[in-house]
Amino acid sequence: MLRFFFLFVLLLAVLFGLELTPWAQEWLVQPWTSTLASISTWIVTLFDLDVVATGKVMRSGATGFAVSIEAGCNGVEATLVLLAAMLAFPAPWNYKFVGLIIGIVAVQLLNILRVISLFYIGQWNYDVFEWAHLYVWQALIMLDVLVVWLIWVRRIPRSEDSRSPPAAPPALAAG
Amino acid sequence: MRPDTPHVFKSPLTRFVVAALAWLPVTFGAWYLLAPVLLWPVRLLVEFVANVGFRDVVRTIESGGRSLTFITTLKPAEGVGAGVVSVDVNMLVYAFGMPLFAALTLAAHEAKWWRTLAIGYAVIVPFVAWGVLADFLKGIAIVAPAAIASQTGFSGWQREMIAFAYQFGTLILPAVVPAVLWVLLHRAFLERLRRPAG
Repeated sequence: MLRFFFLFVLLLAVLFGLELTPWAQEWLVQPWTSTLASISTWIVTLFDLDVVATGKVMRSGATGFAVSIEAGCNGVEATLVLLAAMLAFPAPWNYKFVGLIIGIVAVQLLNILRVISLFYIGQWNYDVFEWAHLYVWQALIMLDVLVVWLIWVRRIPRSEDSRSPPAAPPALAAG
Repeated sequence: MRPDTPHVFKSPLTRFVVAALAWLPVTFGAWYLLAPVLLWPVRLLVEFVANVGFRDVVRTIESGGRSLTFITTLKPAEGVGAGVVSVDVNMLVYAFGMPLFAALTLAAHEAKWWRTLAIGYAVIVPFVAWGVLADFLKGIAIVAPAAIASQTGFSGWQREMIAFAYQFGTLILPAVVPAVLWVLLHRAFLERLRRPAG
């Protein structure tokens, strides 16, 4: 478990550092954030035609309310956490590959729900929007990452990961 | 949600997820109400670090319970005699990992869960302090107008470090620390989750 922990921290720091580089921002993060705004807007226009996306901004023509999808709300960091957790955990590469594809889709789907929900919560009540935006959705996205990782870990054949996680200390195992 | 009691959900993982979602509103409510108490050690830690590392910039720190106001020695502009720059930081932004960790721990409901809660709280506090301090430093060194930022004396690489510390302390640590901590403190629970049914 300690090997997993240190590898996870190292990978996460490296991936996050790479994400902050101007190259990654210009070619990966910003295009993805705009795509996320477009996908969210497309879904919303299925029942609310008065919404448009401009770059990373979703705007309501009826109310004038707009949300700008910024770092932390585009699901990129949550994806990096999942990526680091799956790469660091001992498992066959084909399991890592399939787990990452399905996991990233699961995280981004929930993130689209976050963007759309915040778009409407913001038009309803700004205080609730702040709560949902700053605290609740942050926790829910991380819970999503954790659950995806737990489902993935459950599906790894036991013989393939005999190195981890080691038996818990007696105090913890007593539960 | 004890493992030896009958449950609607067959899968222990489904049980855990449902329990965590049920606990989240409770822990978030308790966290918000108790925030002035829960964040008091964060304030002490921030004050200690500010006194040791940034004494020339921070004059005093005032607490609003859930937020801190850094009263600095910086002037609003060159040659201005009166008035100093102050920076407000909302501590809750960096502390939502507390209710998340509590919900995960209560959902797992392992033996001595109260001890796990205490350990988790003690570990999360310094990371909240990290976020609060990085937010303050970003405020005076990066976001502030050049006339204010220049008074801090931070070099270019120090500003880069502050920017990274702020980004890491905002986008990664508040959510990741409670999740990783929960995994490390629930290895027996994870083993049971992985055990084949029957």
